[in-house]
Amino acid sequence: MEKSTENNDKKNFITESFIGDTSKKHTAYLGTTVPEGYFSKSKISIVDKIKSEIEANTIKSRKQVVFWMRPNIKYMAAASLVFIFSLTIWLQNTNTKDNFSKTNSKILSFSEDHLINSLFINDSEFEAFADATLINEIIIKAELSERKIDDLFLNYLFLEDSLIENYTDKNFIETIIL
Amino acid sequence: MDKEAALIKKLKNPALKDIAFRELLDVYQERLYWHIRKIVTTHENADDVLQNTFVRVYKNIANFKEKSTLHTWMYRISYNESLRFLENDKKKIYANIDEVSSTHLEVLFEDAYFDGDEIQIKLQTIINSFTENKKRIFHMKYFDDLSFRQISEILYISESTLKSTYYSTVKIIEEKIFL
Repeated sequence: MEKSTENNDKKNFITESFIGDTSKKHTAYLGTTVPEGYFSKSKISIVDKIKSEIEANTIKSRKQVVFWMRPNIKYMAAASLVFIFSLTIWLQNTNTKDNFSKTNSKILSFSEDHLINSLFINDSEFEAFADATLINEIIIKAELSERKIDDLFLNYLFLEDSLIENYTDKNFIETIIL
Repeated sequence: MDKEAALIKKLKNPALKDIAFRELLDVYQERLYWHIRKIVTTHENADDVLQNTFVRVYKNIANFKEKSTLHTWMYRISYNESLRFLENDKKKIYANIDEVSSTHLEVLFEDAYFDGDEIQIKLQTIINSFTENKKRIFHMKYFDDLSFRQISEILYISESTLKSTYYSTVKIIEEKIFL
């Protein structure tokens, strides 16, 4: 395209006014042009672009509503999370209890017979065996020894000193220790 | 002003929005195009920015608070969109703002839609030698026919500063153009 020389000798260049016609003014002073029919085509392009953006946004928001934002999906997801969390805590507590009872059973001292017998007990029956052993070895024996001591002192009240001497032997001392 | 108020009312009415938007395009499309073109230089860039501007106007017209005129509001959007475009373009191609300025003329003269003669090239070169602010003020006042008040609302510069800047710029151009 040949460059225009229309304005080369014009002394009133840039002082001439182009009221109302913006395109003419820009072309005359700045040499900038536009393709023919540009503004009509541009109008259509702009409207089409807006339509396509609106459609794209509508589809996007529908997808969100259809899947992620549906109330029943949300509630199911929340309920699942709560269930999993509760289950985790319950399982942890169950293990802790078992550990506690196991630890306590280690502290207790059992006779050799009971220790050997415990080897022949099934895992499912072990807890019951341990409870029974605990009751037999510690609780019942402690109760019995306490009764013995009570009996001793009662007898002493009714009998002379000669009889109490029979109880100050090895058995009596063992009973006190137990 | 009454016409503008009526147009705004229609634009905010969902039932009439599309029809009113076409009216808006008729009134402002060409003016905004040239405003953008002077900032982003080439026709192709101006076309992109113009589309983005009107999409933004369409999406945000419901939230337009009418603190300024519709005219000023749209010019401000187009100005900001142009600057955003330049910023993104600068990141891709240029290292600094000085490089942008010197390359602007090269890009302009190589554009398929630049058909300037000797004096038009001279004018473009003189305007390009000013600071960005001076350039914008001169373009908006002289070529876009905006009032100082409207330019003040777009550029957030006081009217008195705008006036002194504009008239000093015009004086320089008048002195240099016929040298």
